Amino acid sequence: MRYATRRKIVSRVAEALCAVAVLLALLPLVLILFYVLKEGAGALNLAFFTQMPKPVGETGGGMANAIVGTLILIGLAGVFAVPIGCLCGIHLAEYPETRFSSVVRFAADVLNGVPSIVVGIFAYGLVVLPFKRFSAIAGGVALGLLMIPIVVRMTEELLRLVPSGLREGALALGATRGRAVFTVIVPAALPGILTGILVALARVAGETAPLLFTSFNNRFWSLDVTQPMASLTVQVFTYAISPYDDWHRQAWAGAFLLVMIILALSIMARLAVRRLERMNRG
Amino acid sequence: MKIRKISIAAVAAATALSIAACQKAETPSGTTAATSAPVRLQGAGSTFDTPLFSKVFDAYQKIGGAEVNYQSIGSGGGVQQLTAGVVDFGASDFPLNDEQTRTAEAAGGPVVHVPVTMGAVSVGYNLPVDGLKLDGETLSDIYLGKITKWNAPKIAALNPGVKLPDTAVAVVHRAEGSGTTFIFTSYLAAVSPEWKSKVGAAGSVQWPTGVGAKGSEGVSGQVMNTPGGIGYFEMSYADQNHIKSALLKNASGKFVAPSVKGAADAGAGAAANMPADLKAIFVNAPGDTSYPISGFSWIVVFKDQKDATKGKALIDLLKYVVTDGQQFAEPLEYAPLPKPVQDLDLKAISTMTIAGQPPK
Repeated sequence: MRYATRRKIVSRVAEALCAVAVLLALLPLVLILFYVLKEGAGALNLAFFTQMPKPVGETGGGMANAIVGTLILIGLAGVFAVPIGCLCGIHLAEYPETRFSSVVRFAADVLNGVPSIVVGIFAYGLVVLPFKRFSAIAGGVALGLLMIPIVVRMTEELLRLVPSGLREGALALGATRGRAVFTVIVPAALPGILTGILVALARVAGETAPLLFTSFNNRFWSLDVTQPMASLTVQVFTYAISPYDDWHRQAWAGAFLLVMIILALSIMARLAVRRLERMNRG
Repeated sequence: MKIRKISIAAVAAATALSIAACQKAETPSGTTAATSAPVRLQGAGSTFDTPLFSKVFDAYQKIGGAEVNYQSIGSGGGVQQLTAGVVDFGASDFPLNDEQTRTAEAAGGPVVHVPVTMGAVSVGYNLPVDGLKLDGETLSDIYLGKITKWNAPKIAALNPGVKLPDTAVAVVHRAEGSGTTFIFTSYLAAVSPEWKSKVGAAGSVQWPTGVGAKGSEGVSGQVMNTPGGIGYFEMSYADQNHIKSALLKNASGKFVAPSVKGAADAGAGAAANMPADLKAIFVNAPGDTSYPISGFSWIVVFKDQKDATKGKALIDLLKYVVTDGQQFAEPLEYAPLPKPVQDLDLKAISTMTIAGQPPK
């Protein structure tokens, strides 16, 4: 009896500690959202989404070019990283034990740990210097390099989650290995792979450092990927270090929008995972 | 099935987006509907120049000039990107030193320095005292770490009748290399032999004391948040953040607060004996109203432009910046260039060539 009571107490205490830990982990997120919203709300209006930046001394103006720029940049990053990342992931899932696979896996992990500014400098040397110009493509390459390891490992993990019965069934029906992979296993894991891509996109959408010397920044409306391109992160950075209150407000609004974009990508990723789970169950 | 449809739709949408992104599209943005593609110029460098340039380049585009995309990455960065050939012009608060000049000349031939504006560096402090007075020697002693209390005899002697608190002096300086640091240390080196021999004048130096902060925004923020703090930053940061600025004793023995006029008056003297390369440093300038920590900011370009279209546009832009563009300086707290400097600038610009030929 007394033993049972003691266990109950210990359990309660442990539960309470867990709850406290969860709260502590959530607190920064809530505070960030609250604070960014509080500071940025004043500058969030229609003009912020539709207008171009104004020079100092003229109030108003927006970040239309940076909003579109960020979307194009992460789009480009996806174009570069998704095919490479997914194919690597499929290889790792299909041939998990080979020596080559362990090298690829190790390389992906190391790449994942490379500071983003270093990746930016690499892209600068690879794309900016030879063409003598900053360009959105260079920014996309830098962000893509940051995405690849995430996509690789997520794809690998998710393909392994596909029940082996599916594969065996496909092979038993006479499908070749390639056909089994591309028509049965990959489609089954597709929502999960998509999740991985979304998570990777959300991760790179908030990057400033790799863009400073690649996509640079652009004061003008430009959809030309061979030219410098504005992005929310770099624009926020530029505004934040200025002495002007008006620019500071714009920076906060930009930060808020950035958090929202990342949040939206993360929620989409969650929804995709939930669908995958439901499908695997049913 | 539904999932697959959604996934395919998503992939299709992403592809469509990226294809759209890859096409060169010009969307009206409320500016002039371009009949021919406007010339685009890229510039990078000095943070100090950014607000002024944002205004001047905006106005230049509105009167039909080139589209100029200028980004503040720091003076040193601007020079580096110019040398790498990635930008069309750099902007710097300090003239190129010998090593920078050598690398730049190796990459693209001789460079031209064009002074484009002048600014003052405030010495901000955080004390419940208004109108604190300092002279060069005292400021140098503070930054050498020899004065550690605000009620030190040297400071008290300059501020008779002012009740100075017994607060410790918290010295703040820039952590990274900067043009502001160059002007500030040039001033200290000009007024203090000890500073000159021990530390010297450069964009980044071995600081004897104090804490480093990143950017003018970092230094001003640190001063605001530290009672007893002292730091140097561009004047606009002091005004915008309501930080008190010390009055500095100038070469004529007068105490002056940082101001546009103080910088302009200091610069007027520099115009009279300008070196041929226009790399004039005029800290501690003579004149009753001259503010002693003032300096030029330069646009640095290659003398010979390889690209005809861009070269022509760049020359036109430079002419505009040093003449008509100067009207925007004063409202934004920059000192407009005195007429003699404008003339020297135009002369320097007229030496520029396009692929070896003088421009038409």
